Amino acid sequence: MNAALTPFVESMQDAALAPRLPGSGLAWLDSARATALQAFVQRGLPEVRNELWKYTTLRALSQRRFAAHDAEAAMRMVPPSMLPAVAGDAVRVVFVNGVFRPDLSTSDRLPEGARLQPLSQALREQPEPLRFLLGAQDSEDDGFTLLNRALATEGVILRVEAGTKVAAPLHIVHVGLAGEREAAWHLRSLIELGEDASLDIVEHHVGESGAGHLANLVRDINLRDEARLGWTVVQTAGTEAILLRRCDCRLGDAATLDFHALELGGKLARHEVRVDLAGARARFSSRGAFVLHGRQHADTEILVTHRGRDTVSDSLWRGVADGRGRGVVHGRIMMQPGADGAEGGFYNKNLLLSPDAEIDTRPALEIYADEVKANHGATVGQLDENVLFYLRSRGIPLDMARRLLVRAFCAVTLDGIEPPALREHCGALLAAQLPESMA
Amino acid sequence: MATQPGEVQAALSRRYGAGFVTDIESHSLPPGLDEDTIRALSAIKEEPEWMTEWRLAAYRRWLKMTPPNWAHLKLGPIDFQAISYYSAPKNKPKSLDEVDPKLLETYDKLGVPLHERAKLAGVAVDAVFDSVSVANTAREQLAKVGVIFCSMSEAIREHGELVRQYLGTVVPQGDNFFAALNSAVFSDGSFVFIPKGVRCPMELSTYFRINAGHTGQFERTLIIAEESSVVSYLEGCTAPMRDENQLHAAVVELVALEKANIKYSTVQNWYPGDENGKGGIYNFVTKRGECRGDDSRITWTQVETGSAITWKYPSCVLRGDRSVGEFHSVALTNHFQQADTGTKMIHIGRDTKSKIVSKGISAGRSQNSYRGLVKVEKGALNARNHTRCDSILIGKKCGSHTFPYMEVKNPTAIVEHEATTSKISDDQLFYCRSRGIGEEDAVSMIVDGFCKQVFRELPMEFAVEAKKLLEVSLEGAIG
Repeated sequence: MNAALTPFVESMQDAALAPRLPGSGLAWLDSARATALQAFVQRGLPEVRNELWKYTTLRALSQRRFAAHDAEAAMRMVPPSMLPAVAGDAVRVVFVNGVFRPDLSTSDRLPEGARLQPLSQALREQPEPLRFLLGAQDSEDDGFTLLNRALATEGVILRVEAGTKVAAPLHIVHVGLAGEREAAWHLRSLIELGEDASLDIVEHHVGESGAGHLANLVRDINLRDEARLGWTVVQTAGTEAILLRRCDCRLGDAATLDFHALELGGKLARHEVRVDLAGARARFSSRGAFVLHGRQHADTEILVTHRGRDTVSDSLWRGVADGRGRGVVHGRIMMQPGADGAEGGFYNKNLLLSPDAEIDTRPALEIYADEVKANHGATVGQLDENVLFYLRSRGIPLDMARRLLVRAFCAVTLDGIEPPALREHCGALLAAQLPESMA
Repeated sequence: MATQPGEVQAALSRRYGAGFVTDIESHSLPPGLDEDTIRALSAIKEEPEWMTEWRLAAYRRWLKMTPPNWAHLKLGPIDFQAISYYSAPKNKPKSLDEVDPKLLETYDKLGVPLHERAKLAGVAVDAVFDSVSVANTAREQLAKVGVIFCSMSEAIREHGELVRQYLGTVVPQGDNFFAALNSAVFSDGSFVFIPKGVRCPMELSTYFRINAGHTGQFERTLIIAEESSVVSYLEGCTAPMRDENQLHAAVVELVALEKANIKYSTVQNWYPGDENGKGGIYNFVTKRGECRGDDSRITWTQVETGSAITWKYPSCVLRGDRSVGEFHSVALTNHFQQADTGTKMIHIGRDTKSKIVSKGISAGRSQNSYRGLVKVEKGALNARNHTRCDSILIGKKCGSHTFPYMEVKNPTAIVEHEATTSKISDDQLFYCRSRGIGEEDAVSMIVDGFCKQVFRELPMEFAVEAKKLLEVSLEGAIG
């Protein structure tokens, strides 16, 4: 049975007809794309009946149409302010409206042992190693992953060889600029770190205000034994941007993933991070904050599965919603049989600053092993009047006192961001984003 | 952990204490469900026309609904046509003295001596046997203060207007799949009405028991507490051992008007199935209370040790200003039992408060989930909620899950949730054992301490029973 053919689904079907998908002609790829498209048309967009989409309704989105791509993307001027320098020696990769821009990127400066290719290039030159990634279907696919399978044109294919420690951070910038029509793009990335390799990635989402577009990003991160990845997402996309991101991470023995996120922009920004702690002693830590106003909607899903022995996960999220903003947080810790000695924690605190804002938080534990410890906590509240009074009694004006407190509330999630310059940059972004009513 | 073979043997041979079948003649409708069954059921119960129509309307809605699948439960499809929707002892009792002696014996075995309990413990008992209410004690004493405590069928006949005014106003016919089914075919249950300003002079109690095979029990309870009244209601449940799964789909509605206080306590000990997961009751219950008036309070306390599958979320709708909702729960699962239980607190009025304490214990191969919703609506100024969920796991093959949902739409609300899951601490066990306490006793003591906070909320005689039930249910789980 076909789901109702909404304008959105129709526009995606049209996009699939465009003869510009890289690697088309490869039999296995064409067939995988066709299957995925068919499955998407049947299933449609995820519905609120799906527990992972319970608080993010896509009804409005389903009535919109998006162009298959932005034809001018390769030529558009990018204002320098949109390409912030996070660290002097960072290697930069820039995508403008979903198109890789070699003129703005410096990925050829990566050190020996690390190799980065845009997906389109990898599909032209060596498609076979990507077959396992793009040729498969997954039972956990939802409407957007299926769309991504059907329509992905670009992405980052990054491999770091065993033992390679990349010192300079890799800076991936996604720029959204206004085009003639609202476009949708689908990026598929793969980041693989070999044994004992180490890398830091900074992912920026920036964009022009008022530029409406849909970015659908699907990433796979694979960390082999003892590999370490530091991953920081700074999202200051334009006010009309729709960002749907999903990341599947798999960690081998004693591998480490440090994840930081600052979600400030976009109209609808969703990030689903799935972490599979498959190897023994694998560690995952996540720190993140969102500050919303206007009609912004942010949805963060952190789904951690402990499978290896003595695995550790620990997450700390802060949310601030003002105006008509709506923040959604879902943190699930699942402990599979055999994950003895595992420890998992998920903590989420939120501030609700306006009568029209809403917070929906949902920590969850699914425990199938007994030699484990799992905790979670969540709160929704407001600034402490006593603390405000204290600050005012010390001569700090109310407005400044409130800003100070909100900033301090979120700042704990910035601890541990490396390098320090990036941490300061995030702190400044956070301060600039503090709710309107306090400005 | 080492266990003596003797202990294991003793534990294995322990059987479900309430699993006997009473051999009395009963009158049942043949299995199957259609509009005629409902008309026949309604006719047997001598119900007025409006009631029959109400049931039929619910049935028509139910036909359009599908069973929910979001709960963390594994269960096969239920054949609703294979169930008999009415079963009653053939000799209808007119008074307590006429009650079939075999029935009374059943209740004695269960530990509900009707006469004794009514008089000694000051508890008025309404016993529901399969589908009809067989005896109701201490009614006269209650009638003196204006309290109505009778079976639902009697209430429909004799207090029709009251029932009509309140029935389905808290749990509407189409609320969910099982509530719609219940609305169509509910057989009996309790009806309680506490008039304005009355403090009910004794604890009211109902004991439910499923006896006949192939029957479903669809109990419907309605409690109305008028302005400034106070009532405490206890409910206990058991069922005999059978190989097939039996269905229990109850609806309980509580209405608390201004300054009223309702305390509803449940000890649920339906047959949980055997060690291999065969048989047992499917317990799909919709319980909801509405604090309709200002300053009202509803407290749910539950001890859930039975049933093969429990699917139950006693909820509070806090509509009145300054109303309070509380939920205290102990859910224990062993062998192949599955429980998905919790609560919903819907804050609508100003200055409303809710408190949730949930203790989950899973053993054997069971799955135990807490699922709770705290919702603060836009106008619910200064709403407060605190939720505490703790779970312990006993054994390697069980699962324990926590799914809290918090939806907050008012910036003056404070909502807090915390949860932990772990196994019984080795340090605590070691300490007890070093003091010469056996392993089973030590676990039992630790579990008892873990649940204390909830047991404190139970009326005294129930607390004793609950404690015993936990001990019995846990036996065989340690090793």
